[in-house]
Amino acid sequence: MVLEDTSYIFEGGNIYFLEGKNGAGKTTLGKIIMGLLEPNSGSLLFDEEDAAKIKPADRAKKIGYIFQNPALQIFAPTVYDELAFPYEIMGLMDESIREKIEESLKKFNLLEAKDRSPLTMSYGEMQRLALAGISLRDVEFLILDEPSSALDDDGRKFLVSFLKDFSSNGGGIILISHDEDTLSNIENIKELRLDDKKIISIEKSGKY
Amino acid sequence: MKIDPRVKLIYILLLTSLAILAKDIIYISTIVLVSIVVNICLKTDIIKAIKRISFYVSFIIFITLVQSMAVKGGTPLIYIGTFVFVSTTGIIFAVEFLLRMLVIILSGIIATSTDGREMADGMQKMGIPYEFVFMSGIALRFFPIFSDEFRARLNAITMRGINIKKLPFRKKIKLYVYLLAPTISGCILRSEQLAVSIEARGFRALEHRTMFRELKMRPIDWVVLVIGLVLAGGFLFCNYYIGSFVAIA
Repeated sequence: MVLEDTSYIFEGGNIYFLEGKNGAGKTTLGKIIMGLLEPNSGSLLFDEEDAAKIKPADRAKKIGYIFQNPALQIFAPTVYDELAFPYEIMGLMDESIREKIEESLKKFNLLEAKDRSPLTMSYGEMQRLALAGISLRDVEFLILDEPSSALDDDGRKFLVSFLKDFSSNGGGIILISHDEDTLSNIENIKELRLDDKKIISIEKSGKY
Repeated sequence: MKIDPRVKLIYILLLTSLAILAKDIIYISTIVLVSIVVNICLKTDIIKAIKRISFYVSFIIFITLVQSMAVKGGTPLIYIGTFVFVSTTGIIFAVEFLLRMLVIILSGIIATSTDGREMADGMQKMGIPYEFVFMSGIALRFFPIFSDEFRARLNAITMRGINIKKLPFRKKIKLYVYLLAPTISGCILRSEQLAVSIEARGFRALEHRTMFRELKMRPIDWVVLVIGLVLAGGFLFCNYYIGSFVAIA
């Protein structure tokens, strides 16, 4: 059991840093929110709507999720295809989407790699590609599982600025991480600890 | 009932070979029955086998249609003019296929009733080189990894807002083709890592391996083995000297 006798509200416009010991259930909580795992009991609400009635694919239209292992969520033959395939599969590809993809490739420093196979990329590059994929969609919330684990210094700086941008536009973010150093560069981040089957809020003002 | 893994391996070999050699539906049914009895004696999860066979229902229907159209003979049941869609021959072949699959699944379940390491010891005692035994053990362990990885990638697609169930058939196929390459390359990568890890631990560093467990055939193992061999001999005699019970015209 991940949580017991606990309620918590995640609100848009905030960045939540969810930490906890290995095996505390941070990733499990993320997967439950996304509908990849079913809760044994209790309820999960999205804007007062019972999440049990919302299919995972529909939840994903509002919430972007990045796996702990980005290699598992990348599969297209090229970097460009990786960004384009959801739109092609769903028959939504048009000129505006193509432009968005090009912009995203530039923004995430992947333009030169656009014809490369993602399978030949480093973990850090895969994390950037996964983020680029999410940034194309107009999601309201992000759940990022260890997003900085394979990033170099530049990648981490980029991640922080991306998170700040997303949050300032009203998006909510749950960061599942152990990387306090990187996340300490984000102001007004809400630190939560998953401990003893409870979500404990750790109040800190400004940078911590 | 605890039986030596070598006896189980011989039973698996006998059941699967006889299911292929069986001349008609009556003989195959006999093998299915024996497989069920063996599984009951070994207290295995036989319900699992029945559930697994349900995956083959659409395949069975396909085989019925193909056999009915391709093989002449039998009584046409559904036909337009001279073109037969379903015939008794087609149904008999399809049921034979279903029963053979059931024997293979039941035999597989016999194998799972023994710990993998014990089964590997048994194979080695039967003269199969350790390298091959080890490889087959590792290969079996890769199946759940392969399936977990594939499931994780399906989840990743769902997390891109794509409802796979709602996709048209052609696009679904394209999606699965997309998934295949990284899943296979992921498995190759893991097997490379595993190979390095095994080498680092000194695999085959010494010529002679010593075994912690010693397999010994007990009287009950010999009795079960002799019963199996006698039944197999009797089965082959009937199969080749008495002949078919079901005639396909």
